[in-house]
Amino acid sequence: MKGLTPLFVGLFGTFMFSWIGLTVVPNAQIGRLDPQSLEEDTDIYPMPQSGMAERGRQVYNANGCIYCHSRWVRADYAGSDQDRKWGERRSAPRDYIFERPVLLGKMRTGPDLSNIGQRAPLEDENAAPGASPSPAASGAPATAAASPAPAAPNAQGKQPAPSPAVAAAGSKGAAPAPAPPAPAGSPASASSPAATAQQPASTTSLGSENKPNEAPMYSAAWHHRHLYSPRSVTLDSIMPAYRFLYDKRPISGQPSADALKLTGKDAPPEGWEVVPTYDARCLVAFLISSNQSHPLNEAKPPGGGGAAPKGSPAPAPAASPAAPGK
Amino acid sequence: MDAAEIPLKAPDLVIETPPSDVEQVERVLIDASTRIPVLMFYSSAIVWLLLGTVLAMLTSIKMHSPDLLANCSFLTWGRLRPAHVNVMIYGWASMAAMGTAIWLMARLCRTVLRHPLLLVTGAAFWNLGVLIGLIAILAGQSTGYQWLEFPPYVAAILFTAYLLIISWVVLMFRFRRGEQIYITQWYLLGAFLWFPWLYAAAQVMLFIVPVQGVLQAGINWWYANNLLFLWFGAIALGTAYYMIPKVIGRPVYSYHLATIGFWTYAVFSSWTGYQRLVDGPFPAWMITASIAATILTIIPVATVGLNHHMTMQGYFPLLRYSPTLRFTVFGAISYTAFSAVGVLISLRSVNRYLDFSQASIAYSHMGLYAFVTMILFGSMYYIVPRLVEREWRYASLIKLHFWASAYGVGLMSLMLLAAAVVQGSSLDDSTLPFNEATQSILPYLRGRSLAGLLMTASHFIFAFHFGLMLFGLGRTASVPTFLNPVEAEGSEPLL
Repeated sequence: MKGLTPLFVGLFGTFMFSWIGLTVVPNAQIGRLDPQSLEEDTDIYPMPQSGMAERGRQVYNANGCIYCHSRWVRADYAGSDQDRKWGERRSAPRDYIFERPVLLGKMRTGPDLSNIGQRAPLEDENAAPGASPSPAASGAPATAAASPAPAAPNAQGKQPAPSPAVAAAGSKGAAPAPAPPAPAGSPASASSPAATAQQPASTTSLGSENKPNEAPMYSAAWHHRHLYSPRSVTLDSIMPAYRFLYDKRPISGQPSADALKLTGKDAPPEGWEVVPTYDARCLVAFLISSNQSHPLNEAKPPGGGGAAPKGSPAPAPAASPAAPGK
Repeated sequence: MDAAEIPLKAPDLVIETPPSDVEQVERVLIDASTRIPVLMFYSSAIVWLLLGTVLAMLTSIKMHSPDLLANCSFLTWGRLRPAHVNVMIYGWASMAAMGTAIWLMARLCRTVLRHPLLLVTGAAFWNLGVLIGLIAILAGQSTGYQWLEFPPYVAAILFTAYLLIISWVVLMFRFRRGEQIYITQWYLLGAFLWFPWLYAAAQVMLFIVPVQGVLQAGINWWYANNLLFLWFGAIALGTAYYMIPKVIGRPVYSYHLATIGFWTYAVFSSWTGYQRLVDGPFPAWMITASIAATILTIIPVATVGLNHHMTMQGYFPLLRYSPTLRFTVFGAISYTAFSAVGVLISLRSVNRYLDFSQASIAYSHMGLYAFVTMILFGSMYYIVPRLVEREWRYASLIKLHFWASAYGVGLMSLMLLAAAVVQGSSLDDSTLPFNEATQSILPYLRGRSLAGLLMTASHFIFAFHFGLMLFGLGRTASVPTFLNPVEAEGSEPLL
């Protein structure tokens, strides 16, 4: 190649082509979206998030949650996202207009979180006969199970082989009849601590209300417990624990209302309690505010109707109880 | 430093020597003038490589043993991973690539490097930027954009450093001799022009005048893919176009093929990026455009690959002897493999399964390691002896380095791709519990850690060997270090 001019014009031109084509034009097309306002501006979506949730986004970001959790749902024909009930419709650009940084994510080493704020924990649904609808039932067995259950993460952490001890401990108290094949022992042992965590949820302000007869949402208490000790909630989770977001401190006077209800080896020594730091509460506020369930005109749910009934707990096969969702 | 003042050629002194000797003297002078800046880039790069390797090992092990060092905020997995990625990208690969590019440019412009201080200052600033950025990520100040996690103020430092470095390119070109601009120079000029534009565009559109919503993610992946192709890939391909013909002593097979390969590379690979977000919340045309561009990168892959292959035709036995050739050819072959995987995982039908899986990690490692890093290693094996005027001390260490790296990255790619298939098919089957998908890849992730150990060993071996060279402990010999003893077969390899 002779002469610099054609070379430089070419180098400049090729990159200009890409720069305009993939950043400038898209920005012209979807860079100035407004929220959708329906019903004479009374129903505006999305809205900017609260200060706590915004700060929670920074905590989520600082600790690299994005490297394992995506925050977008694909269309029903393009993947099983909606079958997994990660959302009832595909995500659209408008869902994200207030997000910065946008934290879409590219990996699903952990489940998608775009709708974590309006999802119910799978194990509670599936273990429903024992766990969720009966606070009376779960109160007693949960404490009873408290002693054997915490041993489980140690003993079984690596391989979710059936553990008769745990399964028995769980099923004896919780669900006499159907607790059955319990392949991992996890539905029992995982759901009972979750159930204990549910109880205080109704008292803390951040949790969604827990009506005893409905499958509860992931509550603030559930999130805190999960962040503090993931494997006490889901035996085979590989999520790292985020204990540095929590304070372990001596109880002065009354125990704090937001202290984590921990059991077994996670439990603080007598006279001590574990409370979330402000960052942890922001993070949970952010998670709970993650909700794309509001209808959008450009992204209709498949089949028009709500997708909720479709694929509800009913058809879930035996494998499903072992899937504590997280 | 004085080398910069030495006139390139003193005609009255060397007028009677034969032309080849003149060229020989000229090359020695040019090499001497690049000694300090290039060695500074290389040694910084190797320090970052070791640090990045340690971070990588922690990241990999914590993936299957999440309780390791979990209670320390700056060692949490989600901070170590971006720290590893950014140290490797900006610390290791960028610095090594710039070191190689500087040397190649000086050689190809046939001019001594003027004002080496400019480059040394640039390298120092660049190091400072990477160091501050690393601390910022570990302290939780990541920006949340992949491959761009360094906070904006670090980008300002890196950009300043880059301007100091690029100003040398301008100088080099002003004083270049000879009309012909060799293929390598196209790639290097391209890389040096594209990188600041790309980096500035990403910084402006993400931080200074931030775009709305999902476009941030789109621009993020546009940046990441272009950085891989137009910065690292361009320098690596340019290096391969220099090293392969140089070592075997034979011109490039076809200049026309090279031209086609270069321009199709520039056009098509720059349009990639959105294929990482197939069926994401974007207008479909953006994703389709990137998928199409990714598929079209087969053209540059085929032409460049064919060109290298035809150049090497008949000279493959030299792989037995020359370290440079062995690393470079491995890298050039990996370029084909990397691109093939890239095309495969961008197709919608495949992406449905492999999106969100370990496939993108495999893809990045095949690109940045098997392709770019191996070629950079090769160039270092060629360049460093010419800078320190010593030969590599131990052929055995070079062989160990090569095999540990090659097996390491090969095993890692296979493990991650296999994991991706397993994970992807579990994820797609919504009757399987989610945890099944993650549990099923744990054995592969342990295998990946094993591969990581091999690579760690290879990096420490290389760093040790490089250190020997740096401190003047190389061999003083007139013959380069061959991997295997050269039999007296008459045809002596030209290294």
